[in-house]
Amino acid sequence: MTEYAVIGKKVERVDARIKVMGGALYAADIQMAGMLYGKIVRCYDYAHARVTGLDLSEAAKCPGVVTVLGPEDVTTKAYNASVLDMMVSTDMRTVLGDIDDQNIFTDHVKHYGDAIAAIIAISEEAAERAAEKVKATYEELPVYLTAEASKQPDAIQFRPEKPGNLAFQLPEMAFPNNSYAWGDVDKSFADADIIVEDTFYVPKQKQCQMEPGNYIALYDDQQRLNCWTSTQMPKLVQKKLANLFELPMTRVKINQTVIGGGFGARLGMVLEPETCALAMAVPGRPVKILSTREEDWVTSPSRHPGKYWMRMGFKKDGTPVACDAKFENYKGAYYVDASGTAFTTGAWLGGMYKFDSLRYHGESYYTNQSICGAFRGYGNPQTNFVMEQLVDRGCVELGVDPIEWRKKWHKTIGDDGWCMGVPYNSCALDECLDRAAAAIGWAEKREKYKHQSGNIRRGIGVAVMNHTSGAMPMLLEHTVCDVILHQDATATLNLACSDMGQGSHTTLRQVAAETLGFNYEDIYIATGNSDAAGFDIGAHASRTLYVGGGAVKQACEDARRQLFDRAALELEEEVGNLYMEDKIIHVKGTSNKSISVQTLTDQGINNFMNPETGELIGQPGQIKGYASFFPPHNAPPFGATIAEVEVDMETGEVRVLQLVNAHDVGKAIHPGVVEGQLDGGAQQGLGMVLTEETYYDDKGICLNNSFTDYKMLGPSDMPKMTNILVEDADPTGPFGAKSVGEAGIVPPVGATANAIFNAIGIQILEAPITPEKVLKAIII
Amino acid sequence: MTSRVMRDFDLLLPESVTEVVTLLARHKDKSAILAGGTDLLVALKFDYAIDNVISLALVPGLGTLRFDPQDGLVIGAKVTVAEILKSAEVKANYPALWQAAQVFATPQLRNTATVLGNIMRASPAGDCSLAILALGGTVLLQSTAGQREVDLDNFWLSYAVTARQDDELAIAVKIPAPPSGQKSAFRRMTRTTEDLSKLGAAVSLHMAGNVCQQARVAMGCVGPTLVRLPAIEKILAGAKVTTELLQDIVGSVAAEINPIDDQRSSADYRLKVAGVLVRRVIEQALDNEGNVQ
Ligand SMILES: Cc1cc2nc3c(=O)[nH]c(=O)nc-3n(C[C@H](O)[C@H](O)[C@H](O)COP(=O)(O)OP(=O)(O)OC[C@H]3O[C@@H](n4cnc5c(N)ncnc54)[C@H](O)[C@@H]3O)c2cc1C
Repeated sequence: MTEYAVIGKKVERVDARIKVMGGALYAADIQMAGMLYGKIVRCYDYAHARVTGLDLSEAAKCPGVVTVLGPEDVTTKAYNASVLDMMVSTDMRTVLGDIDDQNIFTDHVKHYGDAIAAIIAISEEAAERAAEKVKATYEELPVYLTAEASKQPDAIQFRPEKPGNLAFQLPEMAFPNNSYAWGDVDKSFADADIIVEDTFYVPKQKQCQMEPGNYIALYDDQQRLNCWTSTQMPKLVQKKLANLFELPMTRVKINQTVIGGGFGARLGMVLEPETCALAMAVPGRPVKILSTREEDWVTSPSRHPGKYWMRMGFKKDGTPVACDAKFENYKGAYYVDASGTAFTTGAWLGGMYKFDSLRYHGESYYTNQSICGAFRGYGNPQTNFVMEQLVDRGCVELGVDPIEWRKKWHKTIGDDGWCMGVPYNSCALDECLDRAAAAIGWAEKREKYKHQSGNIRRGIGVAVMNHTSGAMPMLLEHTVCDVILHQDATATLNLACSDMGQGSHTTLRQVAAETLGFNYEDIYIATGNSDAAGFDIGAHASRTLYVGGGAVKQACEDARRQLFDRAALELEEEVGNLYMEDKIIHVKGTSNKSISVQTLTDQGINNFMNPETGELIGQPGQIKGYASFFPPHNAPPFGATIAEVEVDMETGEVRVLQLVNAHDVGKAIHPGVVEGQLDGGAQQGLGMVLTEETYYDDKGICLNNSFTDYKMLGPSDMPKMTNILVEDADPTGPFGAKSVGEAGIVPPVGATANAIFNAIGIQILEAPITPEKVLKAIII
Repeated sequence: MTSRVMRDFDLLLPESVTEVVTLLARHKDKSAILAGGTDLLVALKFDYAIDNVISLALVPGLGTLRFDPQDGLVIGAKVTVAEILKSAEVKANYPALWQAAQVFATPQLRNTATVLGNIMRASPAGDCSLAILALGGTVLLQSTAGQREVDLDNFWLSYAVTARQDDELAIAVKIPAPPSGQKSAFRRMTRTTEDLSKLGAAVSLHMAGNVCQQARVAMGCVGPTLVRLPAIEKILAGAKVTTELLQDIVGSVAAEINPIDDQRSSADYRLKVAGVLVRRVIEQALDNEGNVQ
């Protein structure tokens, strides 16, 4: 194995100190002279209604109010808060049917908390008090909370161009029969000896990122629109805002503030359009919008919930012959990510097992719920819940061990990955399964738990997953990076990659240090200023280390090459004869011919003349490396989780005793960061399968948009956890790395469900698997 | 919907009980007492508006936590849940209360929340309240007119409504000394560990050997207030606690309670597991002596 100086080391995270010491500046912390406060007026009385009257006059008279804004007082241009439409070509956008169906303020309320107006005042309090004085009258409309309801022929149509309230289905042109498919599924099922089938429900899980939606915007004296936001996609948001407000990109500046967690909730725009619209109404004054948790809950996207039907067919010998599936998701009020998850949910399914044939339908239906968008895993946890439970049901019928079956039938190197036509080029899933099984004592426990009676039953279950590192070739993948070498042989990276707490700025810095041959401490990452940084898609699809790291590596290689070229000239040697050690470039085989990097960088900047000879000393010009990087692949990571649970047969309560997560990460650039991602992923995966769901009453009023009523697992709920990092370098990743940001959330979902199945012999078809559901299932 | 900005109120900082009751007499229902504030501030962030908040912060003499083998336990109005947890006397003599304190919210909350505040909030999910109901507590109320005592059995009138008059300050809750042979326990069910109860049960059993002479059995989250279960107490009174008796209890609890569907659970589920929870809390009370046969 290659010995690295910085890669693979647990260096101090770049953000650790400042966050722990309270020095990190979140948008809410930022104060500016002359700051005004915006309060968005939302409809909390109805989930579906037409605004028949809006009277802002009383609000306008309230003390401290600067102005009140109704739908016509801001841009009425429609937009799509998601940025997915910017990651495909214009043609593809048309094929997909992407539309702009949101407005800053609406006169047709489509979900609990939809925005109808806003107040700008001199204090937050004045704005809040005035907002209470806004008088709106409504015509109540029927509420559709599920796809089944909103697809009814007599249902009110959300959009004329989306008949049947079908916001998205896989388009015929790219996906024949509107399906992601290979082989002849119907024929394959005819060959099957065993068929398993069911309809599942996957929940509307919320990211629960710590920082709620807080923003500042200022339309300044130079007629530039500035926005302070913790978006995870600064460059795409810059472009989206430029489009919405019809400004050139040079007049829109994103100042990315410290991100208090993303998990997809900040993938695209959230309240940037509203905040900027308010700022445009009061040029020269910064406007700050601070959300309550309840507000953030219903205005930022959630995971896609919905009905997920699947059928699998097997031969007696275990051969998986066919898989047929349909995910009808409850999209929520607006189009946003309607296309993305509806596709990927099937892509992860297609990437997992060697079915002779497969057919997947993904459909997104408008509903009167808050919008769905990106959430860590992007359809993968949903598929894991369904696919892995059905596989285990198949294994029971086949009488085979679930690990053995998976080892035999999972896809591997050379097979098509999640995107057909892009084969896997690395896969260490077998090793993941073997090591996880050994760590938990799979075989013994599986045997032991076969025969149990009594009130407490234990179970053990496994699940596997494939994911991706970046979204190519479905979506654009591109990061620009430049690295500038200072005269003291330190370097600054300039790029727009986001660190949402996942550790990417730390790992990118490691990649830079290793590539340049510098120390970790020699590198600084400058980010957050959209004026300065080149393009970057943003943090999504677990791409930042893989694609951003690829860009950093290429830019640093460029700078290093320039260093070596100069050293060659100075030393009068071939570049091939040189090597660098401790920032000194030496000539191979000789001990006395060398030049330090610092001499080179210094001479490049301070290119002085030798007073005796009158000649310039060294090579002129500050060294700058540059990369505009498009990754060659998507290096899918694999992972397996084994969960052990205990079920209380009298109460239906489930306790997760232990999780072992074994992940094929390619190369752990920073093992601590990797483990952190797996731990955090597991916490959210367990939450999805056990406790987390946003729900509504039949009028569409959200009942649990708060931490009092929506429960995530806390530290004391977490099981004993073991993370196993399997390092099998990917040929395309920077230093062999594959992604880990989303992988961790996925297999705990299926593994826990399967462990419950193993304990009680019944599968619970609806997530989250609450005690209420378990008890109903086990009490006959 | 919460607000980020609390409504205006006057914060009053009296420095004696006399001053508190004088202020209460003046402001009556236009005022609220602030103890730990863990309920009050939450309410103030919602739509609750009140003109005067009377803080107990500077009032001396309300921090008493005193145990006397004859007179029992006195918990003053400023005693926090964390202090209950630190008391070896509570742990030894009133296990139900100690156990309620142990699972109560989080360390931060326990450091702030008071036991009296829990009682005054009159929530059917009040954990310390439930334990004290089973142990038989009495609330001491004081106004400019003097003091009176109200038995907890008659204190909670309906959801969030107590027998307290709006000019009264609760200065303490008293719990009688445990007769020898008293066993007590508290148990709750939650969605996650750090959560409000979705179902709670507490018992205090006066045991002579394995015969239960007298019992107080109470439940939470099964109706608008915390309740006692007289029918279950009757089954226990004078009975030998056997597995069969416990089974009988499991089957009898549902008829005694009236739970609803809410964010934390369903009526149906609560009805199904309430009996099990009561059995378990009895077993827990008797556990150290293995009295169940
Ligand atoms: C995150 C969180 C978790 C929680 N978890 C739990 C839990 O696990 N179990 C549980 O039971 N509760 C829980 N609670 C609720 C709350 O913490 C308790 O009810 C607590 O005991 C209230 O005490 P306090 O001192 O904070 O009361 P305060 O908020 O100060 O007062 C509560 C009410 O009682 C009145 N009041 C207080 N003291 C007096 C007095 N001496 N005389 C007259 N009126 C008075 C107040 O005016 C107010 O109406 C939780 C609350 C939060 C915010």
